[in-house]
Amino acid sequence: MIWQQLQSLVGSYPLAVRGLGMTVMLSLISLVLGTLLGFGLGVLRTGGNRLISTAIGTWVDLIRGTPFLVQIFLIFFILPELGVELDAFTAGIIALTNLAACFICEIVVAGIRSVPTGQVEAALASGLSRWQRMRQVVLPQAMRIVLPPLVGQYVLLIKDSSVVSAIGLTDLTRVGWLVVQRVPNGLLVFFLVGLGYFIVCYPLIMLARRLERRMGAAHGEVQL
Amino acid sequence: MIEFRGVNKWFGALNVLKDITLSVEPGEVVVVCGPSGSGKSTLIRCINGLETIRDGDLVVDGRRLGDPATNMTLLRAEIGFVFQSFNLYPHKTALENVTLAPIHVRKIQRAEAEKAGRELLAKVGLADKVNAYPAQLSGGQQQRVAIARCLGMRPKIMLFDEPTSALDPEMISEVLDVMVAVAEEGMTMMVVTHEMGFARKVAQRVVFMDAGAIVESGTPEEFFSDPKTDRSRAFLSKILRH
Repeated sequence: MIWQQLQSLVGSYPLAVRGLGMTVMLSLISLVLGTLLGFGLGVLRTGGNRLISTAIGTWVDLIRGTPFLVQIFLIFFILPELGVELDAFTAGIIALTNLAACFICEIVVAGIRSVPTGQVEAALASGLSRWQRMRQVVLPQAMRIVLPPLVGQYVLLIKDSSVVSAIGLTDLTRVGWLVVQRVPNGLLVFFLVGLGYFIVCYPLIMLARRLERRMGAAHGEVQL
Repeated sequence: MIEFRGVNKWFGALNVLKDITLSVEPGEVVVVCGPSGSGKSTLIRCINGLETIRDGDLVVDGRRLGDPATNMTLLRAEIGFVFQSFNLYPHKTALENVTLAPIHVRKIQRAEAEKAGRELLAKVGLADKVNAYPAQLSGGQQQRVAIARCLGMRPKIMLFDEPTSALDPEMISEVLDVMVAVAEEGMTMMVVTHEMGFARKVAQRVVFMDAGAIVESGTPEEFFSDPKTDRSRAFLSKILRH
């Protein structure tokens, strides 16, 4: 019987590849967009304008304080009520990008705040503009703090992308649901689904660990 | 060049600068001394807008601070500021520290800025440390890079906030030598320091502050040999004791 199940699983191979492709695509697009947006929000939040800073802070808290599944449902089901038609893929990208941006914003803010005040004062005193101070002095130093948790966040993002199966996107998790209807062995099917995610995430976990070690070593040399 | 008229500043309820009136002429070297917490650092940090004043007038290089018409970024480019803790950029080499502002603020060509930067580092005795990172330099060397970084902007004024206080004793003189050389080239300088040898050598005036106010001001000769107030006498006896 297990032999039959395995044969049937092999037959689902193209579906699995499609699912994995969807998961990677969703993650990659929202990871790139979320990183750009997250850095932008982080820089703005520390920029000194209290109104902008509060607005971003409130939004980040809202997103961090609500389940991702609920956010996806809100975007996918509520926006069309307001006249914004979205296909599931776009809705998934928007939800994931927004989630990533909020978490990355927090990481970037922590990195920027870790740069000693004296550095900003030195840049200020030599006449660098706000953007030049950020670009030349603050961000390069903040990156040491930002990089390891940033890569860690990518891992979380890839795993969170499984939630988009709830709005009907055929990602790796949904492929699991589809296959398990034909091959009644949930343990085996979802073991393979889990393995698929792990294969994508593990290199990133290793990278985060290496970065952390390297940044730690580099920090030993830096006099603050 | 620098003109304080009735300047006051508060940190909360604390009156850190009390009715400061002080004028510094072009090319003049003024040493500011006084007990810790007397407002010396705050005084010079006001000049390039690292601190803001509450009332009174502060005019620097003909521009009034706090005036919306004064572009602080442009003004700061004309004022070098040397910090007690150096504040070199740790991710940039000595040369990159010196050329950053000339390239980005003065818009000087990179090659030209690097040539000038190398000359300045040679001038402060660090020709061989051009590519060293701050963490690879001693405190005295870092502070000399910091001075070169200011000079790279060809400033009209240089402010020093206790430039030798964070240094080991044997490194103090190498930094003071560079400061003396800068002073002798005619730079307008305000120096917060307790290095009385430096004051005697190059300062035209010593300003003594206590509890946020200027208590006494005179030539180094007058100040050291004949302090006028009890507070300055008490202060001098403490720092000159050893």
